[in-house]
Amino acid sequence: MFTGCCGCCSALRPRYKRLVDNIFPVNPQDGLVKSNMEKLTFYSLSSPEKLDRIGEYLFQKAARDIYRKRYGFVIIAMEAMDQLLVACHAQTLNLFVESFLKMIQKLLESTEPQLQILATQSFVRFANIEEDTPSYHRRYDFFVSKFSAMCHSNENGEARDKIRLAGIRGLQAVVRKTVSDDLVENIWESVHMDKIVPSLLYNMQESTFYMKETSNIEIAPEDQVDPPILAETCMRELVGRASFGHIRAVLKPVLRHFDLHKLWVPNQFAIHIFRIIMFSIQAQYSYTVVETLMAHLDENSKSSPTIRTSIADVLSKIIAIAAGESVGPSVLEIINSLLSHLRDSVRHGLSQTEEKQYQEALINALGEFANHLPDYQKIEIMMFIMSKIPFPLVDNNTADNLLQSILLKSLLKVGTKYQTIHLNNTFPISFLEPLLRMSLAPDSDMRLLVQKILHTLIDRHGNLEKLSKPTVNMGALKLTLEKSSRPDLIFINKHGVIIYDALYTSLQINTNTVENVEAIYTTIALLCVELASAETVIDIMQLIFGIQSLSLNSTDMSNAQKFHLQAIVAALLILIPTVVTIKPLLDYAKEIIRARKSEAPHLLPDLLEQYPSKAEMANKLPHLLIDKIAVCEYLNSSGLDSSRLLQMSPYGAGKLGVTGAGTHRHSWVEAGARGSIVELPGTQEVDSVSSSPGVQRKLPEEELTFESMKRVLTEPPEARKEAEAEKREQLSHTFRTATFSELVHRTQPKHDLLQNKLSEIFKSLSTSEMHQSPSERNKKSSIPVYEQNFPELFLY
Amino acid sequence: MEDFKFLFKVVLVGNAGVGKTCLVRRFTQGLFPPGQGATIGVDFMIKTVEVENEKVKLQIWDTAGQERFRSITQSYYRSAHALILVYDISCQPTFDCLPDWLREIEEYASSKVLRILVGNKIDREDREIPTVVGEDFAARHNMYFLETSAKEAENVEKLFMKIAEDLMQQARSKDLPRYDSITTNISGRTSSISDSNCCSKLT
Ligand SMILES: Nc1nc2c(ncn2[C@@H]2O[C@H](COP(=O)(O)OP(=O)(O)O)[C@@H](O)[C@H]2O)c(=O)[nH]1
Ligand SMILES: [Mg+2]
Repeated sequence: MFTGCCGCCSALRPRYKRLVDNIFPVNPQDGLVKSNMEKLTFYSLSSPEKLDRIGEYLFQKAARDIYRKRYGFVIIAMEAMDQLLVACHAQTLNLFVESFLKMIQKLLESTEPQLQILATQSFVRFANIEEDTPSYHRRYDFFVSKFSAMCHSNENGEARDKIRLAGIRGLQAVVRKTVSDDLVENIWESVHMDKIVPSLLYNMQESTFYMKETSNIEIAPEDQVDPPILAETCMRELVGRASFGHIRAVLKPVLRHFDLHKLWVPNQFAIHIFRIIMFSIQAQYSYTVVETLMAHLDENSKSSPTIRTSIADVLSKIIAIAAGESVGPSVLEIINSLLSHLRDSVRHGLSQTEEKQYQEALINALGEFANHLPDYQKIEIMMFIMSKIPFPLVDNNTADNLLQSILLKSLLKVGTKYQTIHLNNTFPISFLEPLLRMSLAPDSDMRLLVQKILHTLIDRHGNLEKLSKPTVNMGALKLTLEKSSRPDLIFINKHGVIIYDALYTSLQINTNTVENVEAIYTTIALLCVELASAETVIDIMQLIFGIQSLSLNSTDMSNAQKFHLQAIVAALLILIPTVVTIKPLLDYAKEIIRARKSEAPHLLPDLLEQYPSKAEMANKLPHLLIDKIAVCEYLNSSGLDSSRLLQMSPYGAGKLGVTGAGTHRHSWVEAGARGSIVELPGTQEVDSVSSSPGVQRKLPEEELTFESMKRVLTEPPEARKEAEAEKREQLSHTFRTATFSELVHRTQPKHDLLQNKLSEIFKSLSTSEMHQSPSERNKKSSIPVYEQNFPELFLY
Repeated sequence: MEDFKFLFKVVLVGNAGVGKTCLVRRFTQGLFPPGQGATIGVDFMIKTVEVENEKVKLQIWDTAGQERFRSITQSYYRSAHALILVYDISCQPTFDCLPDWLREIEEYASSKVLRILVGNKIDREDREIPTVVGEDFAARHNMYFLETSAKEAENVEKLFMKIAEDLMQQARSKDLPRYDSITTNISGRTSSISDSNCCSKLT
């Protein structure tokens, strides 16, 4: 050993200090003295108990160098520590790590960007090391605080992005280091998340790539990563690691950040972020995001409609992602919450356009959500929405009226997402019956909505577009036809009567617009197409004759409305033999249409708002009407049993019966029991009033005797009109108020979990919201289970 | 170098433009920065001072005054030992906002936090808030009060020293909120105040 003076004094120092001193060159730019570093490493490995002192000594040296701004040496010290950290065995590291982290903190505390970046790199390296022994007392508070501050760096020039990148990497490292170990710092504490999340978002929002959604995002090479991209990666990782209990800790600062940075309007960024969240979050928790966003909508109930619309829009953009993962109760909670928001919106902002946009956004969200649920749940949801529609249906601009329309719109939205396979699954009686009841609403817009709901649910073969307007030009339609299935026929056999009856009745309403009539036509036409069979042919023929009579005999319809009826009669007449091949009937229909074309085109589609004043009434043109005897003949000749057509017509309002007083040909209550239409009792013609439950024949003219006929003929038309109006009034009242208990017994719905939940939610709402009279409450105890499931349907 | 005995976290809040950043720079770097941009998010400075022959490290967090950065800045209130609420004596609106700031502090900071009201820019001729008004406000809200000029280095040193002394007093009587920090008692000599009741693990 050759030791000089220098050796003498260093001999007084502990060996580890000498080894440390030796790794530093004379000139810092020469860098770490590699061979001496190897010696130091070897020493550390063979005497691990010295490691903590080595660390402390290195730290002391570096602290002094920072103070003296000799940064070159600082960098060397850090490098040495990095190497020791990697080289030494995990079990000996614990104490060394403390100095190591103190060193990093020291560098982070300096104002030198270079040192801050260096420190972050070392921290990242450290975070990747697995330690055996957890350090319970180690805290990362400073690192989270400092890295978050770095994420907001406003340094000049290139340094800015470098420091921000370092900050993000640092945060990523803290998260990685802490999430995997339950014993160390709980990174999910809001004190940390409230720093980490806004820091990431702040960097992400400076990106512009989310603006151009379509362009492919190229994967940037490692060294070209910019803060927004890195922040996004980090965000995905963070969200992906969040377990159920932590999600809100992440989401809360997100929402707050959007509020404060006013990032809801416009909402591209919010959509971008929430998509990232939805795609990164563990799938089973995704509905929590939806819930949280909806809760945020609650908190914003006082905010401008524009903000609420934007939030609801974000919701609609992500809700589908959650739908796949939502089950049972959570589905209904989401739906329920959306409906409550709709209701609140209707209550509070009656008609501002912005409020309407908000409602649209909510309805869209509802539709998007439903769209991604399995079909059986869609039915549940439709029934659920139906149960929320306040009764009675009204035609004014009250909140109830608006709510009814909005809920029907929601129903339509969900309906369009549903794909019917068997009609009996689509239309359980508990759904069909209130729907038909609503098809007679006093508000014509509402009636239109109901028909549209029927359209979307009945149409299975994409014929809706083609049949959206009455036409006699069948060849051009190119309808898609399929033989109807047995379950379908059973369905229509069972429920056809109430369906046709409701359609017929709604045609009688004299506030019908062209659109209303067209929509009813579409429903009938779709039924005809979807249920093509001998039975259906007779049913619809019967209906056609009913409509023809209505057009001839109604006293309170305008001429235009009567022409509309004639036009759809013609359109339906030719539709039937097109769908079910009945050659003679087709020829007959063509003949009538040809004749009308030349003599009375106003008795054919298209339906007009106004007709020329000289347009002749149909009853003056008997040869252009459809002749029942002729039709029966054609049907018979094609092997169809037309006897039902001759026997009676269930549709007779406004038409004089030929024979005496009829009994109830059918009623809604009986409908369920009916096996086949042919078995039905009675040979008399009755009017539609009597075909509705509970309406007693009170009007004298309904006693269809010779006397009454004479009276009708002699009575001034006004009187009769009045009586008719009254009758209709009564009719629609009945439709609203009829009890369906018998029906209900026969068609009790299956009670699955979902439905129980549904009624539970619903009950809690109804008790707080509905003002029940005591008698109604008493009634409740004796009503069937079914009614208890959907009490609102039964509150009149 | 690193043998400080106490570590205190100080957070500055107040409207944008009242001079928070200038106060911090004046104190930590001894300069009055010419034309720097507004602070974004949070900024961080460190300064070690000596009180009663003890080294005290002040970790100073300077926050952005703008509303939009509240989401991040508020999260820093929580672990503060002292909060300096700054207004500009030549700008009435910055004074009028004080109640709002107090509400935030109330909501997010520890109840034990030392609160100091600072009226900055006393070098300016166009004073709008008389000293007594500031004093009054501070007294009513149980805060220390000081008027400063970052520009003329007036009372800046005093402000931070006062805070350091006061916090040390509190720390000695163990009446200070505990916030854990990485600077735990490795050497037994340096200790964050947070560990004041479990120190001297090893020497
Ligand atoms: N006259 C004067 N101007 C000051 C003083 N302190 C800050 N300023 C000025 O006030 C402006 C805002 O200062 P800054 O520290 O950025 O405020 P901050 O937003 O609270 O951080 C800058 O133009 C400073 O030059 C002061 O004590 N006196
Ligand atoms: Mg500032």
